[in-house]
Amino acid sequence: MHTEPSRPHTLSDFTTALDKLRGSVLTMASLTKKNLQNAIQGLFERDDDFCNHSIADDEEIDLLEIQIDREGIEVMSRFQPVAKDLREVISSIKIGANIERVADQAVNIARRARKLNEHPELPELHLLDPVIKLSLEMFEDAIRSFAERNASLAVELKARDKSLDRLNKEVTDELINRMQDDSTNLPAYLNMIFISRCLERIGDHSANIAEDVVFAVRAEDIRHLGK
Amino acid sequence: MSTEEHPIQIPNSTARPLELTDDFSPGETNFIKVDNFKFFYGKKEALHGINLEIPSRRVISFIGPSGCGKSTLLRNFNRMNELIPGVRHEGDITIHGTSIFDPSVEVIALRRRIGMVFQKSNPFPMSIYENIVYPLRIAGQGDRSVHDETVERCLCSAALWDEVKDRLHDSALGLSGGQMQRLCIARAIASSPEILLMDEPCSALDPIATAKVEELIIELKKDFTIVIVTHNMQQASRVSELTAFFYLGNLVEFDETRKIFTNPSKLQTEEYITGRFG
Repeated sequence: MHTEPSRPHTLSDFTTALDKLRGSVLTMASLTKKNLQNAIQGLFERDDDFCNHSIADDEEIDLLEIQIDREGIEVMSRFQPVAKDLREVISSIKIGANIERVADQAVNIARRARKLNEHPELPELHLLDPVIKLSLEMFEDAIRSFAERNASLAVELKARDKSLDRLNKEVTDELINRMQDDSTNLPAYLNMIFISRCLERIGDHSANIAEDVVFAVRAEDIRHLGK
Repeated sequence: MSTEEHPIQIPNSTARPLELTDDFSPGETNFIKVDNFKFFYGKKEALHGINLEIPSRRVISFIGPSGCGKSTLLRNFNRMNELIPGVRHEGDITIHGTSIFDPSVEVIALRRRIGMVFQKSNPFPMSIYENIVYPLRIAGQGDRSVHDETVERCLCSAALWDEVKDRLHDSALGLSGGQMQRLCIARAIASSPEILLMDEPCSALDPIATAKVEELIIELKKDFTIVIVTHNMQQASRVSELTAFFYLGNLVEFDETRKIFTNPSKLQTEEYITGRFG
């Protein structure tokens, strides 16, 4: 595997099509990040409007996933890319699918937040703080590794996913303890457990994105290693 | 090996034909061995010390931009370049351990062992049947039953039998472009060669005719070692198991085709196959 930068493609249309595909992935990621922030804001500010925005805007992200698939197929059928170009197209399509699932988790969080907002605020909500922080950081870094073609950053995300799994388990165990002590708020604790689980899934999707970045940049398949 | 010029050798009774078939085993890793091979057109050095080992019964693609030396190397395998005045070589090419430049090697016999198919189909202006038996006739084989058997076997191998079996004595020039090219392949294998050299065999064919020839190439590798020069990257990735990338007379990379087209080791290879130069 060589690491030197290469020159532009002879066919400018091909470069334009690849850039467009890449741009669509980054646009989708940006909208998804906004939806996640809205869902989290709706949760902590107890504002259903933010939650509703997050749920409504998911449709645009779904359409972008379809657009990315279409653009990827078009690049493959028109230009028959090989080597790193082919890896980039394949990875872009797979990353699009993972971003769409992150956006679905934002919708799930927003729906759970609306349920929590129906009842008085519980201090245990802040147990979620470290899970939220790490999952959002992971998603941002996964997208940054794609944008910057930074395989080192992507590899490092795999390790952070294990930390997120651990955090989610700690929060879930703590909330289960509270449920045993305070059965009156049982539905609220359950919703928090679900939200923590959604955040953990966002970490998984971010790790998947990171794997695709490593494949695109280094032609290495780092999936399912060490299992 | 010799650095002197090699004029065309006239076959003579004392020259020993190159024996390729007797004891070579299928899958031999260095069936064709190119050893520090340099080739000169006059003073111009077209190949700069190529080293390459080609296994038997595989399809090997030579790729690279025009003028990179891939066809020059291909035409050296059957010493066709010697038809050009003023050429010379250094280094050696061996087939099954025997130098093709050995003075004892009879060049006509060598070419009988190494069939060649060209970019433009070149059927002889005679019947389909006579095109196939021509190599047998010049080898002194006059038995009609051998002719009949060879025509059917070679046309079947070239996936052409069903299309022409009822008009074997019609002119070959009445065939379509794709059929003519498959006829040339059938003719090339009529003398039972070990090696088939193909120099852009599909560049003048439509996609369906190309697919038929490619299917044929894959089928023929059971019996032949096939070296194909192509500018069509997709064709190289479809039909060959090994690919050699040449640039400016150098062999830049030689590896499994799967590796070359998914993750080449050299930047030049990647830039060429992805369309960034050439």
